[in-house]
Amino acid sequence: MHQVRSWVASAAVGFVRACVVVAVTMLVPAVWAAAVALGIWWGAANPWSWLAPFVLVCVGTLALSRPVCRTVRHLVARWTATVLPDGYRQAGPVTQMSTGFWWNGFGYERTSRDALLDQRWRIRWRDPANWRDLRFTAIAPLTAGVVAAVPVAGVAAAVLGFSQSALPARLLGGLGLVVAVAGAPYAWRPVRPVAVRFLRASAAMALADRVDELTARRADATVTQAAEIRRIERDLHDGAQARLVALGLALATAEKLMATDPDRARALMREARAGAATSLTELRELVRGINPPVLNERGLVDAVRALALDSPLEAEVGADGQLRLDPPVESAVYFGIAELLTNAVKHARASRARISLARDAGDTAVVVEVEDDGRGGAEVRAGGGLAGLRRRLAVFDGTLEVTSPAGGPTRVRMVVPCASL
Amino acid sequence: MRIVVAEDLYLLRDGMVRLMEAYGHQVVATAATGPETLDALLTWRPDVAVVDVRMPPAQSDEGLRAALDARREVPGLPVLILSQHVEQLYARELLADGAGGIGYFLKESVFDADQFIDALERVAGGGTAMDPAVIGKLLSAGPSNRRLAALTAREHSVLGLMAEGLSNQAIGRRLFLSESAISKYTTSLFGKLGITDDDNSNRRVLAVLAYLNSP
Repeated sequence: MHQVRSWVASAAVGFVRACVVVAVTMLVPAVWAAAVALGIWWGAANPWSWLAPFVLVCVGTLALSRPVCRTVRHLVARWTATVLPDGYRQAGPVTQMSTGFWWNGFGYERTSRDALLDQRWRIRWRDPANWRDLRFTAIAPLTAGVVAAVPVAGVAAAVLGFSQSALPARLLGGLGLVVAVAGAPYAWRPVRPVAVRFLRASAAMALADRVDELTARRADATVTQAAEIRRIERDLHDGAQARLVALGLALATAEKLMATDPDRARALMREARAGAATSLTELRELVRGINPPVLNERGLVDAVRALALDSPLEAEVGADGQLRLDPPVESAVYFGIAELLTNAVKHARASRARISLARDAGDTAVVVEVEDDGRGGAEVRAGGGLAGLRRRLAVFDGTLEVTSPAGGPTRVRMVVPCASL
Repeated sequence: MRIVVAEDLYLLRDGMVRLMEAYGHQVVATAATGPETLDALLTWRPDVAVVDVRMPPAQSDEGLRAALDARREVPGLPVLILSQHVEQLYARELLADGAGGIGYFLKESVFDADQFIDALERVAGGGTAMDPAVIGKLLSAGPSNRRLAALTAREHSVLGLMAEGLSNQAIGRRLFLSESAISKYTTSLFGKLGITDDDNSNRRVLAVLAYLNSP
């Protein structure tokens, strides 16, 4: 009973959707049909009967292609949750020059209104996406439109057939009804693959998007790097450098006191020695934060093993062989794992962790998984540590996925593509 | 003692040679690269060698590898490793063969010349000497931590010093206690940890380190 009801519902919804698809995709062919009809109606003798339909076809197609594509994109997104980026050109800023004229990215105009209007038309007609839209309006009616028309045609056949009394016509009507009901849940569906295939951004548009993305990442990376360098400079300036000055002072004083007050000189020497030891400890911490020495000496896998040994968790490391990656990637992955282990101790209150490093099947990426038995609930929040880690990996086109249900366990998977394996 | 010094930075190498000569020891050879180190160790068979971890040609862990290779060739060849940083990972690799005669220290341990030379002599005698930083890491690490919870604070500090390779007498001096008091502590903590007590201080250190290393 329940199944029957849900099937009826899906058939009804499908029929409505099929009607909508037919209406949208057949809009431009309808304009063409109207133009042909107009020409026939005026007759071949009338000179306008050739020109007017031609103008109507051109203007109608050009004006309707973008709205049709926008509607299809919207419908696909709403029905199947497949979001297709439209990839239309975006208008740049319009700025007033010191001469008083307005620059809109193409030319100078006297007023801002003219500049905006000019910019709008230029962008609209120079957009390479127009060709893609035209192609789609030509292809859609012959593919998705035809299939979606099946239940509509079936219903039309049923209505026509049952309105007549002859038996063959009635049989035909019954057949139409069966076809309409059976096809209704499925007939609208081809609109999605067709849209995905023909409404995608073209290669040029995808490339432009990629350039934007990379520009943003470069800006990110340079800002992060500058901040790091500033931090290192500050640490050296306030720490080791200041201590070395104090050390020199103490030694100079001791030298002075050597002859007159050897006991105080000895005390100063001891102080100086302690100071040297402290500044070494500070420098060691600083170096560990810039580039851990084990990473230099042994590479990623052993460095992660050393990390696991130093962690208060019971951490086991699984790795296939010795992965040697590019130093920047190695460093990013190492610090990523270090941060995840710290999170596991601090936030998840875990007691065990498992770290695995491996190459993926195609040997094109390194896959790192960190799992802990903590209380879970970790998520990537804007401005949080995990978001920062994701950004740092994104510089290398790496990804970070977190699955962390409340109550644990937390699993974090980092994938960084690298050809140098 | 006859000593080999392997260190690539001239200033440090020279300083160490002078320090050892000031204490009346003889430096028979110096080395500045990994291969040279291995060569010097096998040629001279010194009473003890002081080896830096990071050396040319590759500036990775040449010194450590040379020391491990030499000890494979000559089991128990006494080596004291010096480094700018200490890693449990390296400590485990050095202790893996269980032959003793191993030291592992931060470079600044030479600031306290008396203690440094003392550790050097202990290693030369086949003993084990570990930097407090290594032991601190071992003692604070997770798995053993739960088992160490049974110890009192005093027993904990005795265990740490024992792991560094000190004898009961030396531990007593550090903690300002009598040697007999220390041996009481060691007996009780060995009992709690289930390690067999051993009079040979090197075997004792190795037992403690093995215990701390066990997952």
